This record gives sequence, C-alpha cells and structure tokens, in this order.
Amino acid sequence: MAKLRLKITKGNEIRYVSHLDFAGTIERVVRRAGLPAAYSEGFNPHLKMAFASALAVGVTSEAEYLDLELTAAPDVAGIEARLKAQLPAGIELKAARYVHTPSPALMAVVNLATYDIMVPLMPAATLAAAMTSLSSFNSEVEILYIKESPKGRREIDITEFLAGPVTASLAADNQSLTVRLAIRITPSGSVKPAEVLAVLTGRYGLPADGGNALIHRTGLFVWDGRGQRSPLEL
Amino acid sequence: MHFLDPVSPAILSKVMKPARYTGYEWNSVVKDLKPAMVNFVLAMPDVYEVGMSNLGLKILYQILNQRADTFAERTYAPWVDLEAEMRNAGIRLYTLETKRPVAECDIIGFSLQYELSYSNVLNMLDLAGIPLLAAEREATQPLVACGGPCAFNAEPMTDFVDFFILGEAEEVISEVAAAIADWKLSGKLNGKAGILRQLAELQGVYVPGFYEAEYDAAGRWAGICTDIPEAKQTISKRVIPDLDQVMFATKPIVPFIEIVHDRIMLELFRGCTRGCRFCQAGVLYRPVRERNIETLLGYVQALIDNTGYNEISLVSLSSADYSCLSPLINRLTTRFKPQGVSVSLPSLRIDSFSIDLANQVQQVRKSGLTFAPEAGTQRLRDVINKGVTEADLIEAVSAAFRAGWSTIKLYFMIGLPTETDEDIAGIAALAQQVADLYKQIKGRRGAKVTVSVSSFVPKPHTAFQWFGQNSVEEIERKQRLLRSLIKDRSLSLSWHDARTSFLEGVFSRGDRRLGKVLLRAWQNGVKFDGWSDHFRYNIWMDAFAAENVDPAAYASRNRDIDEALPWEHLSSGVDKSFLVREWQAAQQGAFTPDCRHKECGACGVCRNLDVKVVDWGQA
Ligand code: SF4
Repeated sequence: MAKLRLKITKGNEIRYVSHLDFAGTIERVVRRAGLPAAYSEGFNPHLKMAFASALAVGVTSEAEYLDLELTAAPDVAGIEARLKAQLPAGIELKAARYVHTPSPALMAVVNLATYDIMVPLMPAATLAAAMTSLSSFNSEVEILYIKESPKGRREIDITEFLAGPVTASLAADNQSLTVRLAIRITPSGSVKPAEVLAVLTGRYGLPADGGNALIHRTGLFVWDGRGQRSPLEL
Repeated sequence: MHFLDPVSPAILSKVMKPARYTGYEWNSVVKDLKPAMVNFVLAMPDVYEVGMSNLGLKILYQILNQRADTFAERTYAPWVDLEAEMRNAGIRLYTLETKRPVAECDIIGFSLQYELSYSNVLNMLDLAGIPLLAAEREATQPLVACGGPCAFNAEPMTDFVDFFILGEAEEVISEVAAAIADWKLSGKLNGKAGILRQLAELQGVYVPGFYEAEYDAAGRWAGICTDIPEAKQTISKRVIPDLDQVMFATKPIVPFIEIVHDRIMLELFRGCTRGCRFCQAGVLYRPVRERNIETLLGYVQALIDNTGYNEISLVSLSSADYSCLSPLINRLTTRFKPQGVSVSLPSLRIDSFSIDLANQVQQVRKSGLTFAPEAGTQRLRDVINKGVTEADLIEAVSAAFRAGWSTIKLYFMIGLPTETDEDIAGIAALAQQVADLYKQIKGRRGAKVTVSVSSFVPKPHTAFQWFGQNSVEEIERKQRLLRSLIKDRSLSLSWHDARTSFLEGVFSRGDRRLGKVLLRAWQNGVKFDGWSDHFRYNIWMDAFAAENVDPAAYASRNRDIDEALPWEHLSSGVDKSFLVREWQAAQQGAFTPDCRHKECGACGVCRNLDVKVVDWGQA
C-alpha cells in the first residue's frame, strides 16, 4: 500500500462541475491511466481517494489536493506522465508525491484557504469607494451572518473565519476588482468566499456586481499559528 | 482552446445543473472549422442527461468526426430555467463544443425518440433563431433533418423538417455529409432545392417538401404525390447487413455530470423477432443481426480504456436473447472483473435462465428485477403474441425469490385490443400471486412488488396500427378499476397520465395537418410534453380546436385495413400483408413463433432489403 498525494487544478472549463462529479471525473482519469489503484470492498467498488476540501460549484482552483491509495508504488515520473495523458480540459496535474503511511487525512490538517475573487465594479464606481467599504468591513470586531443550508439556519461570526484583512486591487481590465481573502477551515465549519462577498456588497457598500463574480481558490494550507505550508511540504 | 461561454456566470450560477451547458467533456471533439467543412450539429430535443445517453447519437458523432470534411458538435434542449434566461438576455442556442450559434452551422439533425418531444424541436429551432417552417429557410440557413424511430411516421413534422433519415444511419450519414460538402464546394449550386434533390436520391432519405399530401372526400389521408424525378414513391429504411463492419461508439464522450446511462453501453445486436404485436421497435429494426462475440470483447476493451467507466450495460431490445450470452458474460467477468468492472442486464426475459444470468452478474446487491408480462390474462397475452405463460412468470419469480431478490417490478399495459375488465382484474390477480409467492417461499412477508401500468398507444408499422386507441375516459376508468382491486400492502401501483398517452397516440398516427396544431400549441407555450410537470393538456386541446382538427379522428378511430395510412410511403421493409396477417392472428389469439429460432414468418424484410438474420448461435 502506498499513498500518493496529488496537486491538481480545477479550471474555468469545469467551473460548474460539482465536487462529487469532480471526484467521479478523477476516478475515471485514474482508471484510464491504469494506475494500480486500491478499491473499497463491496458491490460497487470505489477508489480510495480523499480530497483536502470540497470546492463549491462555480469556483475554480489552482491548488486542489487529494490522496490516492495505490496497491504498489511505481515511480512518480511515470505516474505523472500517465495521468497527464488522461486529464480532461480544466484539470492540470501540478505535482505528485508519495506521503508516509499512515499520515493524517488531508481533510484533518488543511485549515486555511486563500481566494481571489474577480468581480466587476458597478458602472461609475471607483476604486476609492471600494477601499472605503473594505476598511470599514475589516475594522469590525464581529460580523454576524446567517448561513442557510439544507440542514437549517445557523448564525456565525464571519470575523472568526477570516485569517487576515480582506484586500482588493484593480484588475487588469480596469473594470473589475480582485478581492483577496484568506479563510480558516475549522472543525466547526467555515464561511464561503461567496458569503463574504455577499456581505461586502450587501452590507458594506462594496460597489461591485456580486452576481458576476468569479471565485478562484489560490491555495490550501496547513497553518500552525506561525507559518503556512502546502500539503505537499508536510 | 477556451471558448467563451455565451451565458454569463451570473446566469450559470442561477440555473440548475449548469455543467449541462458548458462542454469540454473527455472525448468531445473540437476541430478547426474550415470554410469547406460541413458543420453538423447533432441534437436531441431533450435535456443533456437524456440526449447524452442516446447510443445512436454517440455512434453518429464518432462517424461524422472521423471524416476530414465534417465537424460534428452537439446541442440539447436547455431546461426551462436556462431557456428563460437565454430568451431574456437574447442568447441564441449554441453548440457545446465551440459555443457557436447553432444557426451558423450547415445542418442540424434531431433524433426523434418519442412524439412528445416534437414541441421541443420547434422550441430549439426558435431558440436558435432558425425559422421554424422549412419553406421559409434559405440556403444560407441550416438544413434541418430528423432521424430516430419517429421518422417512420414523419408526416406531423413535415412542415418543419427538410429531410428525414429512415433506419440505421451509420452509412447514410456519411453519404449525406459528403453530398453537403460537395454542395458547399460548388457554391451551393441550385440553392436548397439543389442539395435536397441530391439527398432525395439516397436510399433512406425522405424529403417531404417534394411531395403533396392528398385527402379523399371524407377528409381522410389518401397518399402523397410528386413530380420531382428524384423523389421516390416509397422510401425504404436503411439497414446495416453486417454490424461487425460498421463503426461503433468506442470513444464516447464521458460527461462530467451523471447522465441517465452513465456507463458503457454495449449493443449486442439489433432487432427482435419475438413478434410482440404492439411493439414498433420489433418491426422497425428487423431482422435480428448479432455482433460477433470477439467484436464485442474488442469493443469493451476499447471502451474501458477510452472512458474509464467500470460498469457495462448490455443494451439491445432483449439482451437475454443474444445467442452467445452465457459465454459473453463469462468472458466479460473473467477478463474485466479483476479490473473492478461490473456488468448489468437492463432487460430480462421471463424465464429462469434469465435469473441464473442475473445472479451471475449481480452477485452481491439484489437491486430489484423487472419483468414485463404486459397483460393480465393468458388470453390477452396471446392476442399480443407475448409468448409467456403465467407458469413462466411464476417459475422465474420463484427462482428470483429463492436467489435472494425481494423487489420485483411488473410492467403491464392497459387499453390493448380486445381488452375487457376481466383482463384488468387479471393484472391485480397476477401481482397478488407474485406477492403471495414470496411468503410461500420465504415463510414471511416482505416482498415489494411494483405494478407499473402504461396506457397502450397503437404505433404505425405494427399489427395494431389499425386499432382505435381507448379514450382518455376509458383509460381512466380502467385505472380506477385496477386501483380498487389492488389492496395488499406489499403491492404498489403506478400509471401514466392517460392524457399524455392520448396526445402521443394522435401524433404517432397523425398526418401533415397536425403541423399547424403543433405550431400553434408551441406558440401558446407547450414544451417538454414528456415531463408531467410541464405537460399542458388544455393548451393542446385549444390548439386542436382553433385549427379545426379533431384529435380523436387520429387516435380513437378504428381504421380500415384497406385505408391509406399516412406512413405507408415510409417502409420498414416489412410487408403490409404480414401486418394484416398478424392483426388477424391477434383476433384469434394465434401464436406466431420467433423467426430466428423457428421458421421464417415471411414478414418480407429479408427479401425486400436483401438482408439476413445473423445469429451466431446457429452459425
Ligand atoms: S423475413 Fe422471415 S427471417 Fe427475415 S425477419 Fe422477417 S420473418 Fe424473420
């Protein structure tokens, strides 16, 4: 048994593919590549595969991590070549590495996610107005928000999940903002970047068209209070 | 290459299942479109998950894209949520491959699988910005073609369609593409009529615009006539004599999202000669032609390598009839099981041999078995030539219960010719017998028996094509009667809306005069008629009234044997005399044996189309 850790992307082409379907896609990629994958027992055997963190529908990412259990440990260069030949548009293999077994599940150690949100400015809105909105948001000590999910309504304090101030700059097209944020993933949950954006535009007057925002995950990290490491550096 | 989505993120994040509309699936093909190339759009007037599951379209996609002179793309009906957004934002129907407007392609070909999708064809053309009426489209606009089983009664759709393809299209689709490529190269010589005349010469192609429909004094269909030399009096279907010689969909598109048949589809053979008299597919796909077992195993290897699927579904009209099924399943399981691949059989014959097979393929999970006795009494099963007895069913179900299954689904039809209330009571009795059987065998209750009852719709090209369909009221009365007879808690009953079956009946045996009804009903908002939430019966009935067309004259009227029928110029290769004999045999409850095992029943298709039954078990 060996455990292979992969870093892959989820690009614009497959932005709207759900996490479950994304996982199914990877499963078929692994089978096409003919890797010596380990399967679960049972009638409908599944690959033993675990992601670091699910990505919401509509969100792209340049750093998704997953662990894959193999029944043998062929050399990584060969695996990379076989996987790359089978990847559909929108998925790139960035890195692959064996990790020690047993090692804690990715899901249990990854606790920080960073995002870039590209969002069109409202007509005639200025960068200065956007900055004012952000600074009033960043200076709050508590921002209550009601999370709605199929499981029910729950009130959270957004500031608990922000690892630092939300920043923004004018995007290359001069008509959009790039909003940057770092979000904590905790055992008791997290907040979605889209939820933060909704609060920014809805309550703090960020002059941007949230409906047309494109959210992009730029990194997933293990943060220990002093520094952050990528799951491949563990 | 990344193509810009015509639909904005704001829209895509609002609609259900947005990945239906964004493309880039594995094995989808993108070509650099050169001016001389034929841009062929393959369409299904239904949602992505349904359209992507159609085997015929998968095969045609591969054949067309294999050609250097053709680029085939796909489009499906956007669900009503996206359609509303598209109309609101002025976005036209686009292809999934290059996101180009469908209106810019050379030809759009729809697969017509059932009559209730006709309104979606109109809706998609409109959404594409293509004029609905064939006569209003110019040579600069796409040709509109239709294929699939419904093409065998093309008349209700003739106002909107430039040409129809009858039968198996593996070969003719290439002939069509080549003809369009030449026509484009010639600068579209003689305009649209120029290409349509060439196409009309191909066997299997029907160009309705070249014919006038004639009606008799009583307003009944009297036939078609033409003075265009290329237009044939009778258009015969295409048939592939040797299925091992044509391309199969070995490199199908692998969707990102789950579709209806989200697995490898392995077609073992075409045709079915068991001869159920209600079954249209049984006539249209005659004769039976099997693929060789070696060919099939080669396909499976390629399919697993090309898709990464780990489930194989055997799809044929009645897969258990494949002559080499046991060796095939054995070889599939020994070869592919170690790779984690499983096999499933969607259709089961009612015998214990099938149970053994089901046991072989479903070794762990007993997910439920489906049987189709079709009618509740032996008398009526004889009428429809369903060659199974109650004893067969009891034996098969007992075998299933003993092997560990407890969930059984039984399919029946109501409204069959000669049906009486006794036959309806027979359905309830048979279902009860199955439920009781479980208790006898297992010594306890616990079977789950689902009785699924559809309303019989007489189909063209079958022995029942003359039969007047039961009215909506009569079907509803029979449904209530059945409901009152089913009492046991282990039985559950479901049925189809009698009104949708009525509409299906009107269009399945309709003629050209239905075009204006369809157009009006679509204008008044019908679409997705096959989806019960979206079926708008009243709009349809208003459209019939407004156009002064009596729907019952098509659906409910018993037709005379010597009356001209609106589909008789479209030939399945089966002789009308055979259907007449079968219709008479039905009245007497006389059995016609399966021609692949017993003697030839002289349906005519082998002689007329110069083909033979291919059965490797006999070879
Ligand atoms: S012609 Fe004879 S052998 Fe051929 S399909 Fe018809 S009944 Fe069967």
